[in-house]
Amino acid sequence: MLLPELFALLSSDLFLLLSLLTCLLEERFPKAIPYIYQVAALMGFGHLMVSKMFLTVFDVDLRFWYNFFYLAVGLANVVAVNVYLAVSKKTWMLAKVWSASVTFPTVFISIFFVYNYGYLQGAIFPLLTVDLILILSAAILGIAVAVLLSPKLLRRR
Amino acid sequence: MIKLKIIKNVRLKKSSKFLILLLASILVGTANAAIFYSLTMQPQVTVSAPVIKFDHADDEPSGSTVDDAWCLLAAKSYPNATLTYEQAVNLTNTDSAPHSFMLRCISITPANGNSEVGNWTSIKFLVYNSTGGYVFSLNFTVSSNNWVLAPVSGQTAYYSIPASTSWSIRLETLSPATATEGKVCNIQIAVDVQQ
Repeated sequence: MLLPELFALLSSDLFLLLSLLTCLLEERFPKAIPYIYQVAALMGFGHLMVSKMFLTVFDVDLRFWYNFFYLAVGLANVVAVNVYLAVSKKTWMLAKVWSASVTFPTVFISIFFVYNYGYLQGAIFPLLTVDLILILSAAILGIAVAVLLSPKLLRRR
Repeated sequence: MIKLKIIKNVRLKKSSKFLILLLASILVGTANAAIFYSLTMQPQVTVSAPVIKFDHADDEPSGSTVDDAWCLLAAKSYPNATLTYEQAVNLTNTDSAPHSFMLRCISITPANGNSEVGNWTSIKFLVYNSTGGYVFSLNFTVSSNNWVLAPVSGQTAYYSIPASTSWSIRLETLSPATATEGKVCNIQIAVDVQQ
């Protein structure tokens, strides 16, 4: 059985990944960004600690939502960095690579875990809506990646 | 007045920054994983057959009930005559490894101070090994309407029973000549087994 804390763990790892990647691309980001992401990852540790300390107090619904919110924030940051690279910095090639190698896999993995969690929990929460939103987001993201990598797809029509 | 000196000239190289962030990431990631692992540990308790179980014996008191995990011995005692059940019940180690066990008195009625205690002189539980050798005993003797346990603590030491071996419990009862017929004494004894 999956625990809702898995989302916090996943999101915390996402922030660590963002921290390292923004450090590698430091000339394209503000200097403080990698460290801010480290702090954000530490907040994931805080999430897990709170869950552990209040495991018997918090019900599973509450634990799901605050962990899912943290995951959503993590994914939003991944997409935001992608958009920042594409729109603000005009580094299209880097944005494409980021989209294909970071954004799409992380969103897809998150969808997998959320869907799996909902299935194992017997959909106690309104997970259908969450799943649909995430699947739709992944579909749009996949199409966007395809278009970004091959702009000729649009021109053919 | 305290002056704060800001060091501006210290600039870390990109590789140094990355190394620091990488180490911090490993630390945070490991801590997160450890916390998550502690959350996912779920104990599993499986019901299994008792390793040392009670077994029917040749000299079992009539009306007794013997189950794997518990037994009820409906023994008698006679006034001024020792009644001995040579093999009242057996204890069998069903495991392929030796295990230690002990006898421990949980309760006895009538309680100390009750005049009915005087209807018994002694009730002894003696444990014998598979070759018929005496191993240990738990005895209840009466002194002035009080039960005197031997060992005094009400529990024996641990004794190791070999693998796949049966030991027998010999039950000896004795009542004084003045005992009243029909009086009942209930003794509850636990068999504590070390895994």
